[in-house]
Amino acid sequence: MAGLELLSDQGFRLDGRRPHELRKIECRMGVFAQADGSAYIEQGNTKVLAAVYGPHEMRGSKSRGLHHKVLINCQYSMATFSTGERKRRPRGDRKSQEMTLHLKQTFEAAIMTQLYPRSQIDIFVEVLQADGGNYSTCVNAATLALVDAGIPLKDYVCACTTGFVNDTPMVDISFVEESLGGPQLTVAVLPKSEQIVLLEMASRLHVDYLNKVLKTAVKGCKDVYVILDEVVRNHVAQIASSVGSE
Amino acid sequence: MEEKKKENLKRICIPGQRICRADTSNITGGKGTYTRQGYICASLAGYIHIDRQEKNSVIHVKRGIEQNVVPEAGSIVTVKITSVNPRVCKCSILCVEDTELREPFRGQIRKEDVRSTEKDLVELYKCFRPGDIVLARVLSIGDAHSYFLSTAEDELGVVISISEAGVPMIPGSAEMQCPKTYVTEPRKVAKVIPEHIAVEKKKA
Repeated sequence: MAGLELLSDQGFRLDGRRPHELRKIECRMGVFAQADGSAYIEQGNTKVLAAVYGPHEMRGSKSRGLHHKVLINCQYSMATFSTGERKRRPRGDRKSQEMTLHLKQTFEAAIMTQLYPRSQIDIFVEVLQADGGNYSTCVNAATLALVDAGIPLKDYVCACTTGFVNDTPMVDISFVEESLGGPQLTVAVLPKSEQIVLLEMASRLHVDYLNKVLKTAVKGCKDVYVILDEVVRNHVAQIASSVGSE
Repeated sequence: MEEKKKENLKRICIPGQRICRADTSNITGGKGTYTRQGYICASLAGYIHIDRQEKNSVIHVKRGIEQNVVPEAGSIVTVKITSVNPRVCKCSILCVEDTELREPFRGQIRKEDVRSTEKDLVELYKCFRPGDIVLARVLSIGDAHSYFLSTAEDELGVVISISEAGVPMIPGSAEMQCPKTYVTEPRKVAKVIPEHIAVEKKKA
């Protein structure tokens, strides 16, 4: 593997983590006053802002409205300064469109869409700094923003990107680990019911290893869940004490 | 204080968290909950509230701040009339039941849904004017553009109307009178119990 050793003989990764360890996660909820719900999350150096608006009346072409459930409108964008090389288009390129579609699929599975027929929920995520695991960080940020907006969810959605090097799955891979190639598995799960809502694989991986990698990825998602859980509980308590309802 | 905080933390629940069994006890899930695999689970992050009634208790999950609501078929809404034409009257929905919407939804009252008797004799201009505040019931989620509303009940109709002189008019049986100029204007007046009007006025 090109010069760099992703996993040392002692079992440490380039940034000093062990294979099963996540990067440091820090998050804040309710960062915007204007949006109905918002959140900011840092996973290592990957930083994402998410804002949720709605449910509100259909915007744009009315004909897109669905009669039996809410329409989820997502937008994934990467700030021009988010990557090493300045980006030309923050949104609308192929990669962003694909991410947008994935986000939409993911949250259609988690939001209780039947509660708001003929309405629309907007989820905007913006990557401020990209250092690997962009999609999973966006999912985690959007989950927090949805919880902040008070939109009914079946469960949290937690996502984690897992790489595979030297027969060892590595959770929450960073940009360097991503860019050196090798298989990548992105998983989004509903942690309470252990249902997988999104599974994406980049490059090839032998079937024999799939189970092992998947298990590690799901474990990573559950670790993320524990962190999000604590943040949400603190946030709810904080809101309640400021409103004075409790 | 610390103890109270602890107790609060215990009652916080988060989306997907199991609250209790759904089948055995006489407890049903209310707002902010759903049922999965025989358990009542929370779908919102908030506090658990239990409405205890004689036989059946209902569990709600409430947030500190107001809930998101959208109009549903059957709910009473407060609307403001935006335009009137001979066939249909357009309005924007401001409140659903007693929750204020963060942004209005569009609705319309068709001529045949204004009152329950003499439907064919209804003249919309004599029932509503733009700017009137009207109580209505949601009939259905309607076509692609707006909700269909109805005022075909005694309690539904115009509750607040401003006269040309700029003062709130006093409701009569089928007309409203301006207290300043004593001009009467025809309206589909809602027969609201007086104390409710007082609350409405305070809101407006």
